[in-house]
Amino acid sequence: MKLLIVEDEAKTADYLRDGLAEQGWAVDVARDGTTGLHLARELDYDVIVLDVMLPGMDGFAVLRELRLRKQTPVIMLTARDRIDDRVHGLGAGADDYLVKPFSFIELLARLQALVRRGRQQEPTELQIGDLQINLIARRAFRDATRLDLTGKEFALLALLAQRRGQILSKTVIAAQVWDINFDSHTNVVEVAIKRLRAKIDGPFRNKLLHTVRGMGYVLEAREGDEDDDAPVAGRGSA
Amino acid sequence: MKRVRDLSIAQRLAAMFALAALLVFALVGVALYHVLQTQIVRYQHAELATKLRYVVGSVALCETHERWLKVEDKVQNLISSDRSTKVWAWSSNPDYRIGDAEPTISGATSRRDLGMGRLLLPGAEYPYRTLQELVPALGNRPAVRVSVAIDSKPYVSALRWFTLIMLALGVCGIALVALLGHWIARVGLRPLQRLSNEAQTLSPSNLSQRLQPTELPPELGRLTGTFNGALDRLEAAYTRLDAFNADVAHELRTPLTNLMGQTQVALSRPREVAQLEDVLQSNLEELERMRGIINDMLFLSRAGQGDIALDRVCVPLAEEVAKTGEFLEYLLEEVGMQLRIDGAVDAWIDTSLFRRAMTNLLHNAVQHATPGSEIVVELRGGDAAHSDCGTGARVAVRNHGAGVPPQHLARMFDRFYRVDAAREHRGERHHGLGLSIVKAIASLHGGTVFADSREGRTTVGFSLATPQPHSPA
Repeated sequence: MKLLIVEDEAKTADYLRDGLAEQGWAVDVARDGTTGLHLARELDYDVIVLDVMLPGMDGFAVLRELRLRKQTPVIMLTARDRIDDRVHGLGAGADDYLVKPFSFIELLARLQALVRRGRQQEPTELQIGDLQINLIARRAFRDATRLDLTGKEFALLALLAQRRGQILSKTVIAAQVWDINFDSHTNVVEVAIKRLRAKIDGPFRNKLLHTVRGMGYVLEAREGDEDDDAPVAGRGSA
Repeated sequence: MKRVRDLSIAQRLAAMFALAALLVFALVGVALYHVLQTQIVRYQHAELATKLRYVVGSVALCETHERWLKVEDKVQNLISSDRSTKVWAWSSNPDYRIGDAEPTISGATSRRDLGMGRLLLPGAEYPYRTLQELVPALGNRPAVRVSVAIDSKPYVSALRWFTLIMLALGVCGIALVALLGHWIARVGLRPLQRLSNEAQTLSPSNLSQRLQPTELPPELGRLTGTFNGALDRLEAAYTRLDAFNADVAHELRTPLTNLMGQTQVALSRPREVAQLEDVLQSNLEELERMRGIINDMLFLSRAGQGDIALDRVCVPLAEEVAKTGEFLEYLLEEVGMQLRIDGAVDAWIDTSLFRRAMTNLLHNAVQHATPGSEIVVELRGGDAAHSDCGTGARVAVRNHGAGVPPQHLARMFDRFYRVDAAREHRGERHHGLGLSIVKAIASLHGGTVFADSREGRTTVGFSLATPQPHSPA
């Protein structure tokens, strides 16, 4: 998947390029608005990451010019998060908006969501290792054992399974599972993960639910990875 | 040209004094002028009447032409002794006449008392004043009309002089009044000048400086009091801001210190990958902490500037509280606490902000309550038992625990304020902004916060006002 980053701040542009390249994206970087606009018009990208504050031609102008010809999905980045900025960006045709400082996995999740948009429906049956999830019946099995999950636990598991292999931050999990769209400064997500882990991984040798300390959680089958992290790493465990 | 609003108070007062003086002088002048004029007319009449009686007396006794000649002599004497007097006697018989022709007198009235007329003689500057009488015939003498005239020049010029002097005195008087007025105003306004000088010495470097209200007239004393009150409020706000900056710096300094220190230690010698990963992960936690603080600070700052758009809907609060309770369910379970919602009320709220406030309040309650106890969320309508969207609402969260000492209650909602001064707190993410955010959300909804604690029962909550009709959503 091809992605263009238009960002003048070298460090930001570099880490985004490296990080996204590692995630399997083909990344081009433009250091100013004019180059960015040129590349965006001439080449076909799946998604564009566009900074607002750019030398020469700012992000809004780039977006306006681009929209005259192309409908490539665009995520705007800005350090300012005034509401009128947000409205301005979305009004000018941006598809999403991220406020600095944003977390890398947040950006990743949003990029994937944008690219996924418009694709065929998600499957109703998911299989990760020996974990089977039926989203319609709301049932989960490991091997042949049915897992006894509460409603919220199933919602959490379904979210992780649908985005398997992706790190989900606590913020994303709180928003998707509980509809809590702000930083709650609580360890609810950690506790919930701990409970889910006890149920889906507890009795089994092959661990599927992993903690990425400081970033979030990921559900994936890691072959031959027997000594995964302790139930919940870090001081945050309650 | 100075406009009126550019004039100083002293100048305005001087101008107003001058205007008042002008009015007074003009009134007095007009009155005096009239009195003088009336007196002059009376005096003229009296003089004319005396002269007329003298001539008429002689003419009346004269019955022959012989006697008439003596009358003529008498009249000649009268005229020559007073050059400003003229006398005519006119009859049908040319022998009984004095003067060249009958004078044409204008304006003579028929009034008995003041039958005065005017006569303009060739070469005379001012008209003469006249008085006349008809003397009936006697003996040979026919009826004679006797006319006496006096020159009005002395009287008119006297009146002119009087007017001129009045005008001159008036102008001088007005000028004097204006000058004195200006001086008086300046003297009177001296305390104001002093106050102004004093106010100029106020500087941000000494915030506790105040204006001296002593030795000031009562009007300025009140002004000074008001002004000092404003200074008090500014000082309080400034001090708060200052303390706030210090708190922010402190709060950010701690994670920064950890970040720098850990990174430097890690880089000071070769490390295992696992060790470096550990440092990076720890750093990420510190960074997340900083991001949390910055985001909350921005939220508070924008809420303070009214920069947050509310998306208010009318919903049953109990449902929203229950959803928040569901989110915190695991935390409650861990400490064996129960959440009970007491009451039902509908209110206009921004659900996301309301949940944020509820999360903070409930989290706060969980952290300070005795494990195993019950947390009660009390929902009440703005007025008594009504439960519709028109009355506003009151949300109170009550827990049982150690309680909050009274001196902390009022400040609980201050930014970064912590009851435990040693900054020890359960839960790493707690940085003392939670209740400030509750307060900000309450005021965004036109409400306030309250806190009460007695006998281990602590109640913290907020109120919500009904939005004005023009902004219901």
